[in-house]
Amino acid sequence: MSGLSEALQFPAAGTRTKALPSRTRVDHKNSDEAALVKRVQARDEMAFREIVDRYQAKVFSIIYGILRNHNDAEDIAQQVFAKIYFSIRNFDFRSSLLTWIYKITVNECYDYLRKKRVRKLVYESDFSVEDAQRLESSEPAVDPSAPIDRRIAQHDLVIKLLSKVSEEDRTLILLKEVEGHSVEELAAMTGLNENTIKVKLFRTRQKLLKAAQRLGRIRGIAKVNSGQ
Amino acid sequence: MHREVRDHLEDILAGGHASDSGLAGNGHLNGCAECTGQIAAMREQQRLLQSLRAPEEAEPRAGFYARVIERIESQGAASIWSLFFDSPVGRGLAMASMVLALSVGVYLVSSEHGAEAPAGQVMSVPNPGPNSGEMLTGSPDRDAVLVNLVTYREQ
Repeated sequence: MSGLSEALQFPAAGTRTKALPSRTRVDHKNSDEAALVKRVQARDEMAFREIVDRYQAKVFSIIYGILRNHNDAEDIAQQVFAKIYFSIRNFDFRSSLLTWIYKITVNECYDYLRKKRVRKLVYESDFSVEDAQRLESSEPAVDPSAPIDRRIAQHDLVIKLLSKVSEEDRTLILLKEVEGHSVEELAAMTGLNENTIKVKLFRTRQKLLKAAQRLGRIRGIAKVNSGQ
Repeated sequence: MHREVRDHLEDILAGGHASDSGLAGNGHLNGCAECTGQIAAMREQQRLLQSLRAPEEAEPRAGFYARVIERIESQGAASIWSLFFDSPVGRGLAMASMVLALSVGVYLVSSEHGAEAPAGQVMSVPNPGPNSGEMLTGSPDRDAVLVNLVTYREQ
């Protein structure tokens, strides 16, 4: 991967990349990745295969991070790439391809969760034994000493909170906190100004806090907000 | 949350020390319980969000590309409809077509009713009388009329 993708590679989970120079702007229209996208737009199957090969692990990880179920993750990852195939002609190069794919992926997860909720199979209690074991053995961001039930409940809570904000806000906060991108990187990826990114992140954090307050789930929030 | 903290929020949450963000000078965070409380809540929220990070080894099973292509092919037939429903232009076009079809339907129904009205008037013409039936069923004068026509031709 070169050009845009080199500049915007997702860092490994839990690591934070060194910030790009301030005000970095990437020309999304004139890069190797843009050339690849144009080939897919012209229905070049080899180019599409390259996109699948390049992003399948990333897409799968994003979905698995949200759903924590291997079978569902596989199914939704297939759907994400089918969607990419059918809608890539609408890709306008205003953001990086990664950002666009990330947005589609997160939206597909939430569509899936919404449909599931409609079918009255709410988020929780959907972990297979295997997935629960996997969750227990590999979740660095939460307290590993917490019992599995509590960690599943926390996972359900954060998914529920994120459903209370817009698609754009959700994508941005996930790119920041889950993928570990800096504000500068987010500006380069989305084509937005750094200050706009900061304002959007702040507003999203506040919305999430308010949603958590309504659910009464984050310690100290009620006290904090009562002082506002 | 006060502006002094809000302007440096991302740096603070990213683990930067207050002094990196020029906050130590005014000691705002140390003296403001509201900002300190909000920062603590946002840190907890951040920790929750980071729990969505997947383990490194999460990958689809082998043969993933083939399954993607299979799905694309199965959805290909339906994709002609997605042209209408996925794009705003398509949705507009579909809506306009429905409105047009509805208008044509209403017009046809109303014009049909309009066409039935004169027929009703013809039907409501008063009965010409008992002798009128003779014209239809074969009257005694019928033969005479035919004879007249024949003779007229011969002349």
